[in-house]
Amino acid sequence: MTLRTWDDPALSRFDPLPRIICHDDFDRGFCGWTQLVGNYEGTLDAMLPGYAQHLSPMLSTLPNWDIGSHGGFDGTYALKLGTRPRRGAQNVTIKRLTFRKAGPIRLEAYVTFKPEATELRLSEADVRSFGFLFDLQVGDRHGAGGERVMPHLRFLNALDGEHAQRWQFKRRTTPFVAMGTESKTISHYHLSPDDWEDLPGGDQRLCYNEIPTKVNWHYLCFDFDLAAMRCTGFRVNDRTFDMSGYDAIRIPAMKNLWCMLNLAFFVETDVDKRANLYVDGVCLSGDF
Amino acid sequence: MRTSAAAIVARNETWTGAAATEPYEAGWADEAVVFVRALRPAVGRPGRARIELSPDGMRWVREGTEFDLPTGQDEVTFARVDRFGTWLRVAADLPEGASLTVLVTLHLKG
Repeated sequence: MTLRTWDDPALSRFDPLPRIICHDDFDRGFCGWTQLVGNYEGTLDAMLPGYAQHLSPMLSTLPNWDIGSHGGFDGTYALKLGTRPRRGAQNVTIKRLTFRKAGPIRLEAYVTFKPEATELRLSEADVRSFGFLFDLQVGDRHGAGGERVMPHLRFLNALDGEHAQRWQFKRRTTPFVAMGTESKTISHYHLSPDDWEDLPGGDQRLCYNEIPTKVNWHYLCFDFDLAAMRCTGFRVNDRTFDMSGYDAIRIPAMKNLWCMLNLAFFVETDVDKRANLYVDGVCLSGDF
Repeated sequence: MRTSAAAIVARNETWTGAAATEPYEAGWADEAVVFVRALRPAVGRPGRARIELSPDGMRWVREGTEFDLPTGQDEVTFARVDRFGTWLRVAADLPEGASLTVLVTLHLKG
């Protein structure tokens, strides 16, 4: 029987694959979205600085000094992720799963972003970027050649004051660093500011609205095949992007990450002002 | 079932002078317990911390609750807060020459 779209209005705003892995509406709490903490061994001082700056996400009504609460896409709350008020600062929220079948998955979300409204001006070039990533690894019976694969995409809103407005991806991470002396924990900074590449045809002018306290929600949809470990599609609002030139960070499989299915959202600020990303909600689905 | 969450609002940060945690929005919560843990022995006498509220996450006012900052390594101090509105932070003015490396945790229920 075909599901009529009005049978489940909350789900009908998504185009999920047959199996819903998670459908996170932040009126039900954090739904497993937590802070991405950096690795360490023995002491927190070992944590790479890029991760040390991260803080916990919040449940937000998008409250503003001039209009009060903006509210979520639906209901009262959205997931909020904020940076520190320092140029280049970033924050990341993550949900950690494993997969049951190495097949197609689809991430869909509604998101919006704004700088902290500390000035009575548009501030459209204050948020550097927002984006999302997966952290994936093959199953433990994959055999030789198995990979840890980290698809990244960010909307570069602004850089050095230029209102860039284009999607970027990355294929390279930083060298791995041992976190201690036990040879069990290593770290790399895959969200470093370096090595972002423009997605061919990836320019997009997103609705920003006209003052820093008005937001509009954007739809994004990212398709990935866990069998081939390849991206198979990317849509944002009314645009469908050609992903033939896209690839992910690829590194050899690691000894303790089998079947990993992590998904994360991040936000970066381009000025000494907090940047905020809001998510309401997230639907991760699979074909199994 | 009520929502409950633990949030880390400062981790391995060394406070000197005028210090505060990043703003935390938790309008959904009816109550909060704020814990400050010293990750290292304090340098000097760090003094007292205070709870601050805000109408917008940018402008801060004293809530009235104050508590001693910890001084010994792994010592924990705390304060209980309710009816705090939407925004919450912990602030302190450490005397000259004093410093404290902190882990600040909010336990929220609502």
